[in-house]
Amino acid sequence: MKNFLSLSLTSFLFSSVLWVLWHFIDTHVLFLAGKGGLFYLPHAARVICVVYFGWKAMPALYFGELIGPYVINPGMYPFSILIPSLISVISVPLSLALLNALGFSLGQTRASPLNKRNYKHILLITFISAGFNALLVNLYLSRNNLSFSNAITDIEQVSAFLIGDILGAIIVFILLAYLLKPVIRQARNQ
Amino acid sequence: MKEFYKNISDALSMLDGLEQDLNIRHFSPNELKVFYTIIIRAAHNEHGSNITDIVENSGMSRSTVYKTLKKLSLEKIINLHQSEEDGRESIIVLNS
Repeated sequence: MKNFLSLSLTSFLFSSVLWVLWHFIDTHVLFLAGKGGLFYLPHAARVICVVYFGWKAMPALYFGELIGPYVINPGMYPFSILIPSLISVISVPLSLALLNALGFSLGQTRASPLNKRNYKHILLITFISAGFNALLVNLYLSRNNLSFSNAITDIEQVSAFLIGDILGAIIVFILLAYLLKPVIRQARNQ
Repeated sequence: MKEFYKNISDALSMLDGLEQDLNIRHFSPNELKVFYTIIIRAAHNEHGSNITDIVENSGMSRSTVYKTLKKLSLEKIINLHQSEEDGRESIIVLNS
C-alpha cells in the first residue's frame, strides 16, 4: 500500500509538473510560444512511470494529465479531454503489450529482451507509444468531429503529435540525466 | 517501499547510460540550452540549421553559441559545414 501511494504521488507530481512547465514554455517563452506541440514534455512522464512503476501508476498519471487542462487552465481545449487523456496514458502499456507479443518482454537484466536500464530500449518504447498516441487520439477526435482551435484533425496533426511526443520525451530524459547527475553519481558509487 | 526505490534505481541506471553516451556530463546550463535548440531545430530542418537560427531560437548570445558549437564539434556531437548558399554561414548537423 505504501509503495502504491509513493509511486502514485511520484507519477502524479511528475506528470503535472511537466505539464505546467510545458504550458509555461508554450505560452510565455517568446521564441517557443505556440510551438509547444513540437515538444510535448509530459509524454516522458507517461513512459517513465509506466515502464518503471507498471500499470499501478496509470490512475495517478491520468489525474496528472487532467489537472492542467481542468484546474490550471480550464477551457484550454474546446472539447472534453477525458477520453483523449485516457488514450494517451494507455498508449504506453499498449506499446509494451505489442513488444511483449512480439517476444520482447520487459525486464531489468542484460538478458531481458527489453531492459529497463538501457535508455535505447526506453527510446524504442517512447517511439512506439508516441505512434499509438498520435494515431488513436486523432482517430478519436476525427470520429467525433472534434478539433483543436485553429487546427484540423489530419495527417499533419498526427505527425505533429508523433514528433512532439518523441522530442518532448527526449528533452526530458536528457534534462533529467543532467539534473540528476549528483544522485546518479552517488548511486553508481554505492 | 523497497520496490519503489528499486524502480527509481533502475530509472537512474537508464539515465546514467544516456548521460554517458551523450557525453553531456560536463555541459553548463547555457551549453545545454544551445544543444536542445539544435535538437529542436533538427526536427524543422533535416538538412541542418545555420548559426543565426540557433542564436535566434536559443536566446543566447552569438559568442556563447559559437563557443558551444566549437565544443560540440570537437566532441563530435555535431558537424559544421559551410553553407553552399551563403559562404559566411555554417550549417550545423547532428551526428547520429
